[in-house]
Amino acid sequence: MASPSNILLRTTGLTRRFGGLVAVADLDLEIRQGEILGLIGPNGAGKSTTFNLISGFIKPSSGTLEVFGRKCNGMSPTTISRLGLTRTFQHGSYLRTMNVRDNILIGTVHWLAGASSAQRMKRVEETAAILGLTPYLETIASSLPHGIQRLVSIAIAFATRPRLLCLDEPLTGLNQTEVATTLDILRSIRRDFGSTILLVEHNMKAVMSVCERIVVLHHGRQLATGTPAEVRMNEQVITAYLGTSHGK
Amino acid sequence: MRSLHIRWWTVGAAFAIAATFLVKGPYAASLVNLVAISALIAASLRFGMLIGEVSFATSTFVGLGAYGAGIATTILHWPFLIAMVLGPLVVIGISVLFGWVTLRIKGPYFMLIGFAFVEVVRIALGKIAFIGGVAGMVGIFPPHFVDPWMPTIVMAVVTGLLFSLYVIEKSDFGKVLVAIRDNEDIARTVGLNVLSLKIACFAIASFCAGVAGSLHGFVNNVISPDDFGFMLTVFALAFVKVGGESSIFGAVAGAIILVLISSFALGLGAAEQFVYGGAIVLAMLFLPQGLAGLPWRKCLPARWAKRPANLVNTVAR
Repeated sequence: MASPSNILLRTTGLTRRFGGLVAVADLDLEIRQGEILGLIGPNGAGKSTTFNLISGFIKPSSGTLEVFGRKCNGMSPTTISRLGLTRTFQHGSYLRTMNVRDNILIGTVHWLAGASSAQRMKRVEETAAILGLTPYLETIASSLPHGIQRLVSIAIAFATRPRLLCLDEPLTGLNQTEVATTLDILRSIRRDFGSTILLVEHNMKAVMSVCERIVVLHHGRQLATGTPAEVRMNEQVITAYLGTSHGK
Repeated sequence: MRSLHIRWWTVGAAFAIAATFLVKGPYAASLVNLVAISALIAASLRFGMLIGEVSFATSTFVGLGAYGAGIATTILHWPFLIAMVLGPLVVIGISVLFGWVTLRIKGPYFMLIGFAFVEVVRIALGKIAFIGGVAGMVGIFPPHFVDPWMPTIVMAVVTGLLFSLYVIEKSDFGKVLVAIRDNEDIARTVGLNVLSLKIACFAIASFCAGVAGSLHGFVNNVISPDDFGFMLTVFALAFVKVGGESSIFGAVAGAIILVLISSFALGLGAAEQFVYGGAIVLAMLFLPQGLAGLPWRKCLPARWAKRPANLVNTVAR
């Protein structure tokens, strides 16, 4: 079982309302050291809102957010990221006009602020190598194929060497080979750097294969949580995803 | 930091400064001064555009630089060098404060606030009697022994600052500024304090505008609030757009070409507003990337015409 010290992120009764709409309701979420946690749910389930809440982009209406044991309610995205939580975004999560080298460099600037530019470059090249981006280092990000752009967005985030890496739908629009490559990269990041990963994804097969634990959101509420096998068998989850026929 | 083209900068600056020794007569001298100062204002405006903001306040900061020089020289009788830096230092303080309040908003909103700021300061300067009110200040002269060297001094200061802006832009700090323009949210999630960085960028740009103002005060000898209305920034925007935003050389080239054309047009009796307005329209239609976007490399000898590295890997996949 998880002891309090190896819980990296905990939300208690986290709620966010937009006017009359409750986007996230009373969410209790725990992310444990070293795991790959999947956050899934149909469109509008509150995944993105949850992501924005834990990364500080929106403030909770009520409830508490604790990151690495510190209460983070109302903290800015910069402050939260400085604790060691880095996220990506669903769309255009890269720096359009800059080449891949500079994209990754931006991730290192704060974390290697006192270091020489040679040390920063070393981190950039190491990160590029892990994500297979070395051949693209000098290419402008906007001219890259979609799959590579997705990797660039992970690379920027990973260049900070975060304790908790939060990826917002990193597999969207990728073909099967690219999905497999990306999942391998996530596994090796976790294995070699001890990073914990929170993954929001629509690609169910991928989530089932890479995550140890899955949290299912529906209408802003936590519908189920457990191992992929448990979640797959959960009646409520099946109903939420597939709908229910009349009379059942 | 990769190649800063220091050799080319040295050659260019030496050439520009040496050219000022050949300047004969007050008209040529005033034209050289005007070109150099315009180039600095354009580069200052463009530096602010690295974070994606067009700052109309540039006009005001040029004005405050000029008024700093005017007050220090004609009222306080301070030495030339102190008069030169007084305005720019005040500008740093004001721009940090102005940026801290206004850089939380972006794009057209930021532009409008800058616009309002320019007009408020312009009208306010016109109401202050001891600095001459709407008539402005006269008699802002550099010391006699400096006067004949003004074009050289202006050119040296301007090329020095242009090079500094270039070095800053190529540094990791400069890249962070561009990253903020590209995607502010990413900058936040990797731990960067976006507001502070924007303020720093704004203050550097404003300082250069302030220096341009000081130089303007000393070479023009007469200043008035109406010199520093929003049109000054519109002209600078024309320089940047015609020359090309992608590089500091674009801003400089735009300033040189447009100032020379409009001086020529003034001789024919046209107003500079028509020249600048027309130039913006033509540049937008036919040169969306400005002069800097033209395929210059094709005109170079083959051994210089290296393909830019960023295009090497853009093969279709």
